[in-house]
This record gives sequence, structure tokens and C-alpha cells, in this order.
Amino acid sequence: MSCSNLTMWVSSKPSLSDPSALSSRSFIAPFHLPNSSTPSKSPSSTQIQCGLRELRERIESVKNTQKITEAMKLVAAAKVRRAQEAVVNARPFSETLVGVLYNINEQLQTEDIDIPLTKVRPVKKVALVVVTGDRGLCGGFNNYIIKKAEARIRELKALGLEYTVISVGKKGNSYFNRRPYIPVDKFLEGSNLPTAKEAQAIADDVFSLFVSEEVDKVELLYTKFVSLVKSDPVIHTLLPLSPKGEICDINGVCVDAAEDEFFRLTTKEGKLTVERDVVRTKTSDFSAILQFEQDPVQILDALLPLYLNSQILRSLQESLASELAARMSAMSSATDNAVELKKNLSRVYNRQRQAKITGEILEIVAGADALI
Amino acid sequence: MTLNLCVLTPNRIVWDSEVKEIILSTNSGQIGVLPNHAPIATAVDIGILRIRLKDQWLTMALMGGFARIGNNEITVLVNDAERGSDIDPQEAQETLEIAEANLRKAEGKRQIIEANLALRRARTRVEAVNAIS
Repeated sequence: MSCSNLTMWVSSKPSLSDPSALSSRSFIAPFHLPNSSTPSKSPSSTQIQCGLRELRERIESVKNTQKITEAMKLVAAAKVRRAQEAVVNARPFSETLVGVLYNINEQLQTEDIDIPLTKVRPVKKVALVVVTGDRGLCGGFNNYIIKKAEARIRELKALGLEYTVISVGKKGNSYFNRRPYIPVDKFLEGSNLPTAKEAQAIADDVFSLFVSEEVDKVELLYTKFVSLVKSDPVIHTLLPLSPKGEICDINGVCVDAAEDEFFRLTTKEGKLTVERDVVRTKTSDFSAILQFEQDPVQILDALLPLYLNSQILRSLQESLASELAARMSAMSSATDNAVELKKNLSRVYNRQRQAKITGEILEIVAGADALI
Repeated sequence: MTLNLCVLTPNRIVWDSEVKEIILSTNSGQIGVLPNHAPIATAVDIGILRIRLKDQWLTMALMGGFARIGNNEITVLVNDAERGSDIDPQEAQETLEIAEANLRKAEGKRQIIEANLALRRARTRVEAVNAIS
């Protein structure tokens, strides 16, 4: 009643309002109810209805969240470099191994190789090694892998094959824990930086499963690091190994082991990008007088577990790099959202604050006017 | 004429410098390698690698792999390698006891394979630590 009179009075005589910080007309609307302050840009037009104090608290909390998400993004970026260095450190091993594997295979061309790890059996049971991350806040990373695992399990069921799962990483572990109808063989913990010891633990498990003929095929599900914003969950056949050391996809697409693909994080035009290079390792010949201390078959028997280990370690490293990249991009968009939310909230807060001041001034003026 | 030894594991280079002599455990026994050894390739068993640097012997526990010797260059590729000085004696002893207990409890072909591997590894680590002292 008196408010509405006042509003009309203010609108007709704009010069009477305090000129210092107010522009009178726009604050008439919020004077009724502070609910029409939806900024035109935001697609989710949530109505912000709070008092001044709550708004202040919300702005504070959004600011803190923004600091945290930005810090997480920088930490993830630093860790991606470390993960990349780990991949680079692993190259001398795999290069030497591949070179030796090639040479031995040339010597064994005509012989019949009978090594437990390369035995191809009719498949009745398949083991799936699923590599997930340990922590959340990484966008759709863990979800993609788990969805791919479920899809593969459905395929295997449709083919009438039995399956068992080896889950690596806390997220996968908790997912499979909640689903007792999926037979899980072992739960393994991932870690911040995959070392040979962890790869060894997985390799031991897989080795014993395969050699004891409990499973006839082992497939590895991990995320391939394609670029900073894209990663691909892939399925590779881990066992049986081909004696030549080829890495095969489930569809039978085989990549030669000598073609080593590695990724490098570099900057191009000020932005972080990923370059993938395919390098063909030089398979130089051994000196002709190289003697094998043991039977070439025994030597191959010792080489293949090494190869298995390095494959598993490689996939763990790629998964880690993809997880970090996913976390980087998720935290980056979270930071952007926090900035925008803070801007909107500040705008509403300022409008309310100014409306309150206007109200007080109007009361004072009306009171003074009433005395006259 | 010095020997250059390179010990590689899948995720790092454990040793890459010159040595005077090494003794390697292979599937067919131990072999000693001096400079100008004939080129050979051999599988490496889970065992101890002894390295001599100027009258001082160092031990390293190797967890199986492959070695190539030729042209005064020794390349050893192993699943895992630990220097004897880096292993904690007590922890290694405890791991050994746990591994032995697991082997006794193991049932079924698969568990026996796993338990045997773990036992050999634990035993090698304990030997590597004891061999220095």
C-alpha cells in the first residue's frame, strides 16, 4: 500500500532518487519480489530466491569450489606429464624385447612351437580384465569403460560362453561389488603411477588362469588415450599370445608389435595438444655367431611373460593418462561453470542490495515528507 | 675393456653403467660373464644377479626374464629387479613366510602355480638381502 505509492512516486520523479549508485527504474521490479533476476544468457533459468545473507554465503562457497576445481585441473595436468614420462621410460624395454622376439621368431620359423602362453584352445570361458580409475570427478571416463564391459559380457553370454572378470581400480571394484551376479575373480587396486609390480600382479593372475586351463582366452579392457578430449575404451586380446608378438583386437585386427605407437603432450599455439607417433623399431640382426644358451623354445618361453607384463603395464599407463585427461577437461568445465554461477549470483546479490538501499532511502524520504 | 650392463624392467631402467664382471642365474645354471665374452642369448631365472665393481660385489634380485650378451654389452630384460641394498630384510622375511603359508594352503592347479611363483620371488629377495651381509 504505502510501498506501491512510493514506487509510483519514484517512477514519476526519477531525479529524487539518490544519484550516487542507483539507477531507479530497474530496481522497481525487484522491490516487489527478487525473483525475476534470471540473466538472459543462462539456458537453465533457475530462479534465485534468497535473502542477502544466503546469497553472500552461496557466492563464498562457489568461490571456494572454483578454487578447488581449478587446483584439481592443474594437478591433473602435472600428472599427465608424469604419466607421459612413464610411457617414455618404458620404451627401451619394449624396443629391446620386440627386437629379440623378431630375431628368435626368424630362427624358429620351421619349428613347431609349443609354449603354454601361445596355445590356442577352443574357447569356453573368457576372462575380462577391466581397468578403471580410482577416483571420481573425471567426467564419463569410468562410465564408458564399465558400459563397454557390460556390452562385452552381453556379447559373450549371447555366444554361450562363460566369463569371469578381473577388476582393476576402485571404481570398477565398487561397481562389480554391487552386482554379485557377475562372477569376479579378483579385485585389484590401481595406483597413482602404475609400476611393474602391479602389472606383475595382474600378469600372475592372468597367467595362472590361462595355464591352468580355467579360462581359454583373456581380454583386456582399457581406455586408449587418443587426445586430451577424446579417449576410446578398447578391448585387446591378451592371451593366447601370438609368438610373433602381435597385439590383436577382438575383431581379429592385429597390429604388428614392432610398430610402437606413443603419445606426446606438447603445446601448439599456446594450447595443450597430444601428438601420436607411430615408430617402427629397428629389428637389427643378431650377430651370426650368437649362441643360445638354452633351447630357442625355452628362451621364447621366458620372453613371452615379459611381453605380457609390458603389454599390461602399457595399458595401465594409457588408462591413467586418459583418466587424467578426462579429469582435466571435467575440472576445466566445472571451473567455467563456477565462474558463470558466481557472476550470476553476484548480479542478483547486487540488485538485491541496491533494492534494499533504495527501499531504506524511500522510507526515510517518505518519513521526512510526512513530517513536513 | 669394460663391460656395460643394462638392466631394464617394463617401467624403468634399473642399471645402466659399466661393471667388471657379473654372475647371472639362468635356467641352466649360473654363468659368469667377463669382458669379451662370446655373444650368447639366454633366459634368466628368478634369482640373484651379482655385479662386481672394482672388488666390490653387489646383489640384485631378478624376477625372471631374458639376457643378451655380446660385444661387451649386456642387456638384461626382467619383469622386476630390486637392488639388494633397497630391500628391507624384515619385510622380505615376512613376505617369505606369508608365501610359504600360502603355498601350504593352496588347492587346485591354479593356486599352486601362483603360490609357487610368489614363493620363488620371496626367496630370491631374502637371498639378495642376506648375500650382502
